[in-house]
Amino acid sequence: MTALTDPKSNQHHLVMGNEAFARGALEAGVAVVAGYPGTPSSEIVESLANVSKERNLYVEWSTNEKVAMEVAAAGSFAKLRSLCVLKQNGVNVASDFFLHLAGSGTRGGMLVLTCEDPGALSSVNEGDSRHFSRMLEIPLLEPGDFQEAKDITKWGFELSEALKCPVMIRSVTRLSHASGNITFGDLPETDHKAEFKHDGFILDPDTGPMISAPVAYKHGLQQQKVQQAIKMFETSPFNTYTGPGNPELLLITSSACNLYSREAIKLLGVQHRVGLLKLGTTWPLPPKLLEKHLRMANKVLIVEEVIPFLEESVKILAMELAEEIGIKKFFGKRDGTIPSTNELNPDIVIGALCGILGMDYAGLTAEYSEKANTHLFLGAPAREGTFCAGCPHRASFWNISQALKLDNNEGFVCGDIGCYSMAVLPAGYSTLKTLHAMGSGTGVASGFGKLGQFGMDQPVFSVCGDSTFYHAVLPALVNAVHHKSDITLVVLDNSGTAMTGFQPHPGTEKDARGEEALQMNIESICKSIGATVRVADPFDFDETQKTIFELMGMKGGVKVLVLRQICALSPEKKGIRWFDVVVHESQCLGENCGCNRLCTRVFKCPGLVWDTEKKVSKIDDAICVGCGVCSSVCPVGAIENMEVK
Amino acid sequence: MKIGGSKEIFEQVLDTDLCSVCGACVGICPYFKVHSGKVAKVFDCDLEKGRCYAQCPKTGVDFEMLSQNYFNQPYTDKPLGTYQKIVAAKAGDMLQGDRFQNGGSVTALISFALESGAIEGAVLTDAEGLIPVPKIVENAGDALKCAATKYAAAHTAAAVNEAAKDGRTNLGVVGTACQLTGIAQMRANPLEKSDFMDPVSLTIGLFCTWSLDARKFKDYISGKIDPATITGMDVPPPPAEVFVVKTGNSTTELPLSEVRTLIPNGCSVCPDMTAEWADISVGAFEGKKEWNTLIIRTARGEELVNKAVAAGYLKLDEFSAAGLDHLTTGAGNKKKRALKKQNQEVS
Repeated sequence: MTALTDPKSNQHHLVMGNEAFARGALEAGVAVVAGYPGTPSSEIVESLANVSKERNLYVEWSTNEKVAMEVAAAGSFAKLRSLCVLKQNGVNVASDFFLHLAGSGTRGGMLVLTCEDPGALSSVNEGDSRHFSRMLEIPLLEPGDFQEAKDITKWGFELSEALKCPVMIRSVTRLSHASGNITFGDLPETDHKAEFKHDGFILDPDTGPMISAPVAYKHGLQQQKVQQAIKMFETSPFNTYTGPGNPELLLITSSACNLYSREAIKLLGVQHRVGLLKLGTTWPLPPKLLEKHLRMANKVLIVEEVIPFLEESVKILAMELAEEIGIKKFFGKRDGTIPSTNELNPDIVIGALCGILGMDYAGLTAEYSEKANTHLFLGAPAREGTFCAGCPHRASFWNISQALKLDNNEGFVCGDIGCYSMAVLPAGYSTLKTLHAMGSGTGVASGFGKLGQFGMDQPVFSVCGDSTFYHAVLPALVNAVHHKSDITLVVLDNSGTAMTGFQPHPGTEKDARGEEALQMNIESICKSIGATVRVADPFDFDETQKTIFELMGMKGGVKVLVLRQICALSPEKKGIRWFDVVVHESQCLGENCGCNRLCTRVFKCPGLVWDTEKKVSKIDDAICVGCGVCSSVCPVGAIENMEVK
Repeated sequence: MKIGGSKEIFEQVLDTDLCSVCGACVGICPYFKVHSGKVAKVFDCDLEKGRCYAQCPKTGVDFEMLSQNYFNQPYTDKPLGTYQKIVAAKAGDMLQGDRFQNGGSVTALISFALESGAIEGAVLTDAEGLIPVPKIVENAGDALKCAATKYAAAHTAAAVNEAAKDGRTNLGVVGTACQLTGIAQMRANPLEKSDFMDPVSLTIGLFCTWSLDARKFKDYISGKIDPATITGMDVPPPPAEVFVVKTGNSTTELPLSEVRTLIPNGCSVCPDMTAEWADISVGAFEGKKEWNTLIIRTARGEELVNKAVAAGYLKLDEFSAAGLDHLTTGAGNKKKRALKKQNQEVS
């Protein structure tokens, strides 16, 4: 982390994109920050939480993204600058409130900052939330480099205040998680004063109630704000053109694709042939600016990630302007020049440019390429996703999977989002059979649990993490309990939002700022709504499996099993060995009938390795964390947990 | 005979519903387990050859090899298998008990073998409710608790596999044909393991025409009678056509035609009514209530019977020619039905 609160302006700092966003918010005088952890967005709230005392901020990790947006909105309604941070899925979660917020408008500048994940590097979708700006009729900003990430954030607050509506900023993994040099600006005073005025005339945006009614009037007002935004965008410094006066090809781009496009143009040496129009204000598009640049060239290439959002907006304008600017030849996603899935990179842009300009380009010599490919595909060992050494999820799924197999009634588990999503893979014994959004496992299970009416008698399970439990499982659980759905929810409680870096949640003692918070208890909540609740330690196979069978034996209604064991990487546990685990080689059955490498072939903790020479299992001391669970896995007791020396 | 692995067991036995839950594939490894009367494979094993396959009585049995191994003589295809003599028997005065299925001869023989030190432990079948569970007992008192027929299919062979893994020897086993066939195959050390030790020194077979799917049986009975109150069960000889359940002082008669629907498909291909791979096989003596039929198959079996009689644990009587005729016909019919069914399954 850099000194985010360094008061010295005009100094260069190497910062991560997410820190640049955080610094931009600080320079704008943000007072209220709320979000829900999600890669690649989490560092923004964390950075601001770390300086919350120093900068007099209110920062929280909210229960979910909808609540986070509501918390941030309250700050705005009280005339404070506020920031809501989330990832693409989070925008969906918050979208119901978001629509109404766009209608009611805001007071203090309010940004909704979404960090998205083209290529789904750390997601199970590559949703593109830019659509929301068009759907909700609110301005969308997309920074094109690290400096802009800071500057556009600062300006976004001013824009929001000028328009009295929320402004959306979209980042992507390669901006949020890459680092670059930026110049800091000044930090303002921190004497924020909050007051919510609500007694004024119903239509008064500064003193009346914050509501989206009368709807038609407010909706019309919103559309006026869009027109006002267009005027401001026509002259925005975040929209830049680099290139000749009459290029052969106009390349229009935004966000991280600006970096890829710049690199591609430079590598090909086509600066004199290709003009680069980089847009920072991507919705609504400023027509005059577009008209000016579209006039320059007959060929237009639009470079953006995931869906053709910018491309469609440009094409609509080009159609409207056709009389003035003439008919253009467009290249982009709709004609297949640029792929519509996954991340882009300079090579893809180079490929597109070469196709359009009739050029050949080889970044690497043929010999090198061949060699690289050979090593990449043949030389690298096959690796699949797995849980960390000592991960409680491995033990939990070992138990759940075995219990369902032993029960032998085609039982299955519905999953959702967390490290445990990996249980769709052999790492979790392929236990999860449905996997969707946060909380969806329990919602889907609630539905399955009612299909007995149609003859379905398979045992239905769902799993969720402790943070997810509060985020979105609760409504699904309440639904299941109310409707007496016959399901078992297993809460994999590893005591923190582990996947994104142990952010606190309602079940933890501290809040985002490290201050004492009211800690809730999952089993008490479940009991109070009428579920049958058991708690077990997943490392204790006998107890856990016995409890699962006990719950499966109870027909009708919701059963909850809390499998509690702290994450092996949590700050409280990391580096603490419970046991020195040893494999007694003489007892190890290895590949023989009676074992067939159960520990290294099936259980597959990375701390256990197969000695190909001796044909026995052994502990990899560098990786083993000493949880001792594998001693329960070995069918002949060849693995022993020794006292730590 | 080609030995396969767990994949082939699935293809040939579990997926084709031929499993009779004898337990021969269970207790060897971490992959095959029994839960609540049903065999399950909890994880995949990719070995091409496994003892699970070699010991399963439904993957194909090499009768010739077993006969040489067991009786030192070629396999006889006679309905009652190889035997030395057949007698009538019942428990002697040394044995006190009131819940024997018929004459109490099995409990008497096991009790005597344990008490006399002929065996160090006995693998028997107990029950948790209506679900049978194998149990290794060390004394006559515990053996007595396992008396009476369970009817539901029991994975008794699994306990023998476990005992072998634990290095136990000199055990007696009481089991039905499928269980004892599995155990006989296990005792032949099919994968030729160098450190193999035979855990079994005495086998007592139980006559069996069918067993019941434990889970279906539990569900069926639970709908009619509280399983916790059941004190005994019996199938009286034809033409009764009833399944009798005793609770305290009352009895309930259930139609045998209903109960027969709970028989695992696997029982229909079993050719062995009298448990041929045993030292002694024991069943009811139809027509002589509270007496058993005893088929003494080996010298060891005969020695045990003689000693048990001398010690007052067992009483013997002559077996009738009519009884032998009746038994032979019954056993022969089971072989015929099984062969017919096997041919259907294959074609």
